[in-house]
Amino acid sequence: MGKKKSVALIVLVTVVLLGLLFISITPTFPVKTPYSLQSLLNTVRLGADLGGGYGAVYYPEGVISAEEYAGEVARYESGEGSDPAEQYVAHGGVYLDSEKVLDENGEVLESFKTEFETASRIFKQRFEDKNFTECSVWVEDDYTIRVEVSDVSQKETVSNVFSVLAYSGELYFSDTDTSTNSKNVLMTGGSEHISGADVVDMGDSGYGIAVHLTKAGRAKFAEITGDLVSSSSSDSSGSTSATLYLYMGTEVLMSAGVDSALDQNVIYIGGSSSSGSVAYPTRESAQTIACVINSALNEEDVFNLSLQPQVYSYGATMGDYAALIAASVIGVLVLAMIVFSLVRYKGMGLAHVYGFLTFALIFILCLAFITQITVNVAGLLAIVLSAAMMVGFNFYAFRNIRSEFYTGKTLTSAIKSGYKKSLAVTIDTHIILLIASIVLYFISLGSAQYMALIFLIGTVISAACTLAVTRFYLYMFLAQPKNKIAFCNFKREETEDE
Amino acid sequence: MNKVLSKKGLTVCLAVAVIVIVVGAFLAGFVGYNPDSTHKNYSVIEVTDAGYSASDAQDEFVNFCKDEISKTYAVSDVKVTQSYTTGTSVFTYYVDGTPDRAFCDKLETAIAGCTIEGVNGALASVTFHEGIDQNYSDYVWRTAVGAAVAFVLLFVYVAIRFRLGMGVTVLIAGVHDALLLLALAAIVRLPVSPAFAGVAVFVLLLSGLLNLFVFGRMRTDLRTDEFKAKSASEAVSDSVRNARPAVLVVSAAIAVVAVILAVVGVFTGIDLTFAMIAALIGIALATYSALVVSPAVYALIKQTWDAKRAEKAKYNYSSDKKKKEAKPAEAAGELE
Repeated sequence: MGKKKSVALIVLVTVVLLGLLFISITPTFPVKTPYSLQSLLNTVRLGADLGGGYGAVYYPEGVISAEEYAGEVARYESGEGSDPAEQYVAHGGVYLDSEKVLDENGEVLESFKTEFETASRIFKQRFEDKNFTECSVWVEDDYTIRVEVSDVSQKETVSNVFSVLAYSGELYFSDTDTSTNSKNVLMTGGSEHISGADVVDMGDSGYGIAVHLTKAGRAKFAEITGDLVSSSSSDSSGSTSATLYLYMGTEVLMSAGVDSALDQNVIYIGGSSSSGSVAYPTRESAQTIACVINSALNEEDVFNLSLQPQVYSYGATMGDYAALIAASVIGVLVLAMIVFSLVRYKGMGLAHVYGFLTFALIFILCLAFITQITVNVAGLLAIVLSAAMMVGFNFYAFRNIRSEFYTGKTLTSAIKSGYKKSLAVTIDTHIILLIASIVLYFISLGSAQYMALIFLIGTVISAACTLAVTRFYLYMFLAQPKNKIAFCNFKREETEDE
Repeated sequence: MNKVLSKKGLTVCLAVAVIVIVVGAFLAGFVGYNPDSTHKNYSVIEVTDAGYSASDAQDEFVNFCKDEISKTYAVSDVKVTQSYTTGTSVFTYYVDGTPDRAFCDKLETAIAGCTIEGVNGALASVTFHEGIDQNYSDYVWRTAVGAAVAFVLLFVYVAIRFRLGMGVTVLIAGVHDALLLLALAAIVRLPVSPAFAGVAVFVLLLSGLLNLFVFGRMRTDLRTDEFKAKSASEAVSDSVRNARPAVLVVSAAIAVVAVILAVVGVFTGIDLTFAMIAALIGIALATYSALVVSPAVYALIKQTWDAKRAEKAKYNYSSDKKKKEAKPAEAAGELE
């Protein structure tokens, strides 16, 4: 590489890296009221352990909180309503309605207990299937359910998640809209007719839900859609389109227009309306509906208890500043590593510093812009592991270059054979770890899955930066100094014409 | 560590590992893991700040309530949450013991009489709750299946690209590290959550990385004439010495981050400390297996296979002798 070309490249690369560094780690500052510039690091989605999340306490019908009871007492004292002491009985931190929950002996009704047990089991299943980075479910005071999950506000509406996952009742298809209380059940939605539901990508129309029908379900669905179309074409409106609703209890899960009899194994629901609004703009919003459908297919999993959530937000479980401190610790260690590599390897160290910065900045870009990524404490370890791998392989290559050089080879030849010597193990290690992280990403759930995704990305960037980028930077810098051997912190008695 | 472990030393190491794993499995199976704050059963007192205290007065208010509660119950943790709909703050105090309505009423009276500026204690309400964690296992099982498939692929890849013996060794090391981590966490009663599965996966990947550093170097070294002339144990130990700096640099770099975060966790949130202790155990195990267990296992495999290869390559004098003995007898028969 010529000197001029090298200078131009060094300037260009430095400017790009500094620019990226600025937008990646600079602290938030106001740009123009009310706007402020947020660094890319600030936009990385954090798990509940590092960034907090949302929780909800679900009160079944007939169970009220102490605050609600206090409100009833206040109402009674001001002359409104009946005496709550006659209607409610204290049970731990909650109050039970003697008419709805207790029998004449003051014991909790067996039917209520059974319903509540089913509800808490299904809640656990739904929240687990939803695959949050963190999720905790408790039964509180025997008859309420408390759930805490990681922050989902960037992916779907928080209140919607908690209320939809609490839907109760049986699944059924109906042509009756929500305004009518009595629903016309066209087809039940149990395992007899539906084998499962999952999320599908519908391109520009967001995401949809694929409802897989059984053989009997397919025949029945063709029949009801055929009937719907024929009845809508024969009515006074003259329209050939009818709306079919999928209900769970009294709540509509999905609705879709039907133009013709649909005889197919899978029905897809989603897309965008004529007004342009997308039914499920994110994968997570569609997944919530799919989770609810999947949890209600078996008869023994159906419960009719109505549960109302009281949603709240909470801070990071590992401390409010855990993420900031972790980022600062990693930053300080990176600085120490930069100093060490510059002292130990000089010119090669400089190439490594540029290579590492490229690695780190691309990694930050991926963390900020790939929406599936959520960084929790395991993800943090994955980031550190990827960075250590990148540093380790660069130092391994430099060590090989050094040993090749001291066998008497010229610097250029030593660099070539040093990289060649470390090439096989670098490629093999990255490939096998990439395969392992892909497998873990597709099979595992929760924390391990999010960790595997981060490591997968880290491995790809590390491979690129170790095998190509750092080597390129090394050649870029080597074009500058007169004494290339001293530049690489090597010593040789005889002078060499490189 | 200039020599690889002897056969006896390796047997002792693996026997200890097996005992630890069995004890850990027993504890995990019968007693379960010790849950961290996000999954433990709890007994709490909740103070709802319906008076919307000024934000700068809230800390003082939280501490006032904590002091009042501490007169009767030991407070292990405090969490502040905010209602999503009303914005009301709720202070949750995790206590040792079982509070009751009478205590809550007493506390409510004490709070009503507090004189903190910006706080309207009269509007605060106090309640108590007991929660029982609902264990779930799908996360753990799916991660275990994923790890098992990753182990198999790791073995296949290393067996093909490196040597069969190295594949076997990497598989043993990975299983050794992951299972020992799980067992040690159960034995030392380290508080963990399902996020611990993520730490276990991290250890699996780190074990793979460090072992590949060692075997990558060994693959190159064992091809050289210098190493071919050495005995299996010598060749392996010399090669491990060459790979040791890289392994130690990577392990030390990650360990430093884990140690600092473990210390930070003591001040911010103790769960961070527990997660980092788990990570540190994993880092130590992966380093130990890459530098001690794996070389010893591979040296043993190489020694056995080298001996078998030498046996095969040896000229078979006995069959030659038999042939020679058979020839005169045949000749005598022909004469008869």
